[in-house]
Amino acid sequence: MSDTADQTVVVPESGAGRSDMIVLEGVEKIYPGSTQPAVSQLDLAIAQGDIVMLIGPSGCGKTTTLKMINRLIEPTAGRILLDGKDVTHVNGDQLRRQIGYVIQQGGLFPHFSIADNIGVVPKMLGWDKQRIKERADELLHLVGLEPSTFRDRYPRQLSGGQQQRIGVARALAADPPVMLMDEPFGAIDPITRDRLQDEFLEIQRTVGKTIAFVTHDLQEAVKLGDKIAVFATGRLEQYADPDTILTRPANDFVSDFVGGGAAVRRLSLVELAHLELHPIETDEKAADSRNGVAVAEVDGSGKPVSWRHLPGADAAGTPLVTVPISGSVYDAVDVMLDGSASLVAVVDDEGRAQGVLHWNDLVGGLRTRKGDA
Amino acid sequence: MSTATSETVDTQAEAAVEEEEKKQGTFARLWFQHYDLVILPMIVILLLLFLFLYVGTRDLDTIEVRVLAFDNVQGLLAQHLYLVLISTILVLVIAVPVGILLSRRSARRLQGPVLAIGGFGQALPPFGVLLLMAFAFSFGPTTAIVGLTLAALLPVLRNTVIGLQQVDQSLIEAARGMGMTSRATLFRVEVPLAVPVIVAGLRVALVLNVGTATLASYIGAGGLGELVQQALRLNRINVLLVAGGIIAALALLIDWLAGVAERIVVTRSG
Repeated sequence: MSDTADQTVVVPESGAGRSDMIVLEGVEKIYPGSTQPAVSQLDLAIAQGDIVMLIGPSGCGKTTTLKMINRLIEPTAGRILLDGKDVTHVNGDQLRRQIGYVIQQGGLFPHFSIADNIGVVPKMLGWDKQRIKERADELLHLVGLEPSTFRDRYPRQLSGGQQQRIGVARALAADPPVMLMDEPFGAIDPITRDRLQDEFLEIQRTVGKTIAFVTHDLQEAVKLGDKIAVFATGRLEQYADPDTILTRPANDFVSDFVGGGAAVRRLSLVELAHLELHPIETDEKAADSRNGVAVAEVDGSGKPVSWRHLPGADAAGTPLVTVPISGSVYDAVDVMLDGSASLVAVVDDEGRAQGVLHWNDLVGGLRTRKGDA
Repeated sequence: MSTATSETVDTQAEAAVEEEEKKQGTFARLWFQHYDLVILPMIVILLLLFLFLYVGTRDLDTIEVRVLAFDNVQGLLAQHLYLVLISTILVLVIAVPVGILLSRRSARRLQGPVLAIGGFGQALPPFGVLLLMAFAFSFGPTTAIVGLTLAALLPVLRNTVIGLQQVDQSLIEAARGMGMTSRATLFRVEVPLAVPVIVAGLRVALVLNVGTATLASYIGAGGLGELVQQALRLNRINVLLVAGGIIAALALLIDWLAGVAERIVVTRSG
């Protein structure tokens, strides 16, 4: 917690005073018949409401660590605390009913209807039928699937992405404070995965669970994680927020793992909404009077269509490309490269121009707005 | 969730299509999916009909009339079904629990030896086993049932083990991860998903038993084998034809019934 505490000014939503929801203390796992520990002397604390991404190469112990939190794998040594309570020796089945669990491809039971799949844990907790049914409908809404259509279907009638949504809904069924996710989006095509990740963040914004999330995809870790834990053969190499992992890797292993693309990956962490953008003018009267400002032609609905005037550039020869302000600098760079444009107009939800980002800004250093991260 | 709206529209359209299908009637849909199931019973009925017509045109002597009398044939058929039914139920009661036990982690190393013994039981010629058992214990239906049970144990046992083995490990992990006890996981996830494979094994056992049960008559357990024996003893070719026809028809019908059961189970468990 100490390293997030000094950042509270910068990131208001991870405010001070949150307690640690999941704490691992000196946790160790040695599999029978093996001398090398799969996980050795691990200390890890996950603050309430955080998404922590466990990442590392195969066999690094990230999945073992995840499964020790709900004791699917019993630790050989150490303590596990959940919301301050030692759960190292409580009944494992009872414990797991209090923890959401999502695995690759959802792990839905093919012989259960969608509603029954979502109702597995509530049923074990003894909820009555009506309450389970209402909860299933509520969760189907939450994950964007129409209850009347989907509740009586069977998993095989759903696409991979839909199945994964049900997998998340099922884990949320009994409203557990903690969720464990084991490469949930690993086997899904890149486009659907991207959409599921966005939806997942959206859902997390409303439910605010404490989540431990295993992935092998650094891109995913950077996108979803509040913090990232990088593992190497049973040891935790670095545990920090994505920006720190990318810019200040703790050692050679982490910097190797992060690889050469760190600077580019970092771009996806910087949101356009937080940037100080160059002004853009769409008022025709102002066109000739202001030399230092980019002026765009707009169509009837106020959307910019082409450049009328660019300071120090040929307006007619530069294509006008736009990027939504909800995106990241990464998206802006992508749009610029794609359109062979040296600048991009940042637009709001209605498509109206909000500002301009120049290619040179990337090299010269991005300026963030005052009071914002 | 920006994608939700477009998907909702899609699914509403799908729902409308499904509604339309429902209007056409569930019977039509069932017929469309399973019309192939009607073929075999029709062949069997035709076969029996031809047999009946053929025997009807023959001049039967008094012995043939007596042997082919409805009461005699019906009694032997009932005995035959009794042998098959009881032995198959015994197979089910023994092989499924043993198969489940063998698939547990702690007993997995016993799988090989037990399946080998089962294979040994199946490889032994049933006729020889029945005769030896009759001499060792007693003549009559009880011995016949024990023999039939032993001979048909393997398919169900093996299919139970295989059926449980092929259940996706990730489903078991999901079940445990959500807090199901290992017993609940077994009975709510593993066994239901293994049922189609188990039923397939049961079908093999049933058909095996219908055939083997004709040998039971040699150790005084009755059944349709008795009809065959009578025909051979009395040298009556018409009786032999009827006996063979009924046995074949019975085997086909039971296989068909088990096939229907198998299909119901498969559609249920997805």
